[in-house]
Amino acid sequence: MTKPLLSVEDLTKTFGGLHAVEEVSFQIQQGEIIGLIGPNGAGKTTIFNLISGYHPPTRGRIAFNGRDITGRRPYELARLGIGRTFQVVKPFPGLTVLENVVIAAFARHPKRADAERHAWQILESTGLAGRAGLSAASLTLAGRKRLEISKALALEPQLLLLDEVVAGLNPTEADQTIKLILQLRDSGISILVVEHIMRVIMNISDSILVLNFGRKIAMGKPAEVTRNPEVVKAYLGEEAACKP
Amino acid sequence: MFLLLPQALVDGFLIGGIYVTIAIGFSLAYGVMHIIDFAVGEWIMLGAFLGFYLTKWLQIEPLLFLPLVFIVFAAIGYLFQPVIHRVLSGKKGNPLLMALVFTFGLALMIKGLGLTVFGFYSHSIPSALSAGSFSLEIGSLFVTVPVIRLTGLIYALAITLALHYLLKKTDFGLAVRALSQNKDAAGLMGINAKRTSSYVYGIYVGISAMSGVLIGCIFSISAQMGSQYTVFSFFVVVLAGMGYLSGVPWAAFLLGVVQSFFLIYFNPGWTLLAVFGILYAVLLVSPKGLFGKGV
Amino acid sequence: MRWRNLLWIGISIAGLLLLPKFFPDPFFLRIVTEVFMWVGLAITWDVMAGYTGYLNFGHGAFFGIGAYVTAILMMRSGWPFAATLPVAGLVAGAAALIAGLPTLRLKGAYFAIATWALALAVQQMALVLDITGGPDGMRLPPFLHPQFFFYLMLTLVTATFALLWFLLEKAPFGLKVKAIREDELGAMALGINPTTIKMQAFILSAIPAGVLGGIYAYWITFIDPASVLADIITDQAMVMAVFGGLGTLIGPLIGAVLIFAFKTYFWAYLADYQVLYLIILGGVIALTVVFLPNGLWGTITGYTGGRRILRKALSVDQPQGSGEKET
Repeated sequence: MTKPLLSVEDLTKTFGGLHAVEEVSFQIQQGEIIGLIGPNGAGKTTIFNLISGYHPPTRGRIAFNGRDITGRRPYELARLGIGRTFQVVKPFPGLTVLENVVIAAFARHPKRADAERHAWQILESTGLAGRAGLSAASLTLAGRKRLEISKALALEPQLLLLDEVVAGLNPTEADQTIKLILQLRDSGISILVVEHIMRVIMNISDSILVLNFGRKIAMGKPAEVTRNPEVVKAYLGEEAACKP
Repeated sequence: MFLLLPQALVDGFLIGGIYVTIAIGFSLAYGVMHIIDFAVGEWIMLGAFLGFYLTKWLQIEPLLFLPLVFIVFAAIGYLFQPVIHRVLSGKKGNPLLMALVFTFGLALMIKGLGLTVFGFYSHSIPSALSAGSFSLEIGSLFVTVPVIRLTGLIYALAITLALHYLLKKTDFGLAVRALSQNKDAAGLMGINAKRTSSYVYGIYVGISAMSGVLIGCIFSISAQMGSQYTVFSFFVVVLAGMGYLSGVPWAAFLLGVVQSFFLIYFNPGWTLLAVFGILYAVLLVSPKGLFGKGV
Repeated sequence: MRWRNLLWIGISIAGLLLLPKFFPDPFFLRIVTEVFMWVGLAITWDVMAGYTGYLNFGHGAFFGIGAYVTAILMMRSGWPFAATLPVAGLVAGAAALIAGLPTLRLKGAYFAIATWALALAVQQMALVLDITGGPDGMRLPPFLHPQFFFYLMLTLVTATFALLWFLLEKAPFGLKVKAIREDELGAMALGINPTTIKMQAFILSAIPAGVLGGIYAYWITFIDPASVLADIITDQAMVMAVFGGLGTLIGPLIGAVLIFAFKTYFWAYLADYQVLYLIILGGVIALTVVFLPNGLWGTITGYTGGRRILRKALSVDQPQGSGEKET
């Protein structure tokens, strides 16, 4: 086994006595897509916030590229190569689409001209180039989610944390986004995905990490995970009952 | 020099009570409306001047006017709050913020008004109790207790107990606490947010004004005095942790002691600097407040 | 388009440069010089408020600090005027650093309170210190040369305007600052350290204000806490910027010219009722916030940043680092 890109050990986060995440360990290899699933409140977003530095962990250790990054601030991690999107998309509404991406590009290209050139390339690849000059507030939901990915990509990340970038899109838009995610994976970026749509996450993930009440209850290939009785009980059962 | 230390503590403790009342009112208004009222010191100033003029015209003990001052300013606050409420519930932009800037503008206007009507001079409110004092001797320690300051503390205790009763034992208090917790849920529970906020703002303005009269009996008053008391209010609520009542007395008494300490040992002009220094240190070390768990 | 803009700028500057030639009346020059100064104060105030999204209620403190630094260095240490100006700017910048250190990590309401308290503290310090002359103030050697101050103020304010325009509208710094204004948590995910950027912006806004104060001290030759550290300085710069339109450089410029013109007229006719002016300023800011949240310039051009800026600037919720809700 090669050295993992991201290694999470015994990660625990408590909010006022409540265990949001409890002793979760997992690893992500380079060029791998890991799907993170679990019922609402299972701690998925907290894991994202811990890895991207928005919450300092209560206990545990996070290593990126073999380097201990526990407790580092979000902006340091962004510069190190961890890009993230937000479930509630956060474009800078008063700025243009291009400016939004340029801001992220500054992390690698301190000169404005270079950053703009880089941002244009990103927008070409994510299909937003045609809307570069528009205000970010004017984008549709699909556009905003695209923009969210574009901004994270402009950091030239090695690890990308995608929080529900497909949910809420129509099938065509969803397929485009999935294609984009797979392309990124093929270019060598590791991706951690949170997604509620089972069809999507089972198809694109190399392995699946299942959380329930903040604990890791299973991790493995999509086909294995779906057969795990505990997972079925905790999550898929509920899901299957809702959507036959 | 050292012998004065107990005196400074006593003076500060006695004056701190008044700051408790102001800060509790301020915190209550913050709790239900979620805005910082930059005009707090100006309400104190207006109250102090009402007390001053009533005393001057009627030649009666100013402390007897306290209920009247409260009623007048509670009514002003009650009638004025809908204006803030209108800004707060406006459709344009962010209401919360507009209300805040609005209070800043309001403070400017009241200050201007005060300077226009009352002029630039300092006055003091003559109370029969102002001159009186008695001495306490505990072992070798010897402290003087000015009657007026003691009255201030008794006043503060009365107000605080009344507010405590109002908040904890009455339906109105329940509504206020519900509103501070969650505006929407409070609305669902059938609480009239508008009416309740008006009452709270009225109570807060009334208490501030009343406290202004006591401040005028103890210290001096002028149309420019507002800013200092606004800083004091901020000091107390920041040290207590914004929005947390439990830390207010500690912070207020600390403020009183700091103020008395500087009055006795240094130039009173240094008080504000000391207050600012402490505020600065607290923000630097423990921005959530020393005595609470604020934002 | 660009050429036309440049042409207009060139014509305006040439016009201002030639102004004393055609209108040498000292009273008129004094008014225009003061307008320059207020433009400088309003645009530097807007660096924090309009561009970064933090309300500075103590901008006047930097102006006053600059004035006192120049006065003290000239009178107590015998420095030449020109040498004091950089120091005035640096000391003002250092004051911003000190004030920003605890508060810029926190949300806007704390910053608003702290800057306001800073202004009072500086005022108080000038009153109690010996070196500042206390309430008696300080008298500087008179240098009665209206044109000198006209050109000096013009140069400094034009340079400040150009620098701010370049940094905020052209350079990466401007976009980073705007990112913080729009969404501080989101900006962090893109590699921006908000505290550092905010600090830079705060110092950037303080330095020119300090230099302006230095020039002002030498110009009016007498300073005391009631003049160069008055609350009215912050209040007026604020009203000018909010009224003109936050988040732009043109807005505060227009606001400064209009408000100052009004003030001059007001003074001419109502000098006996000076404090009425406070009531008017308070009224203007309250009314602007309610009815023209984007300011004059924003309303004319349809720029809608002002409202959002104000919202961000005064929110007390959402401490840093815990913005995302668990789902």
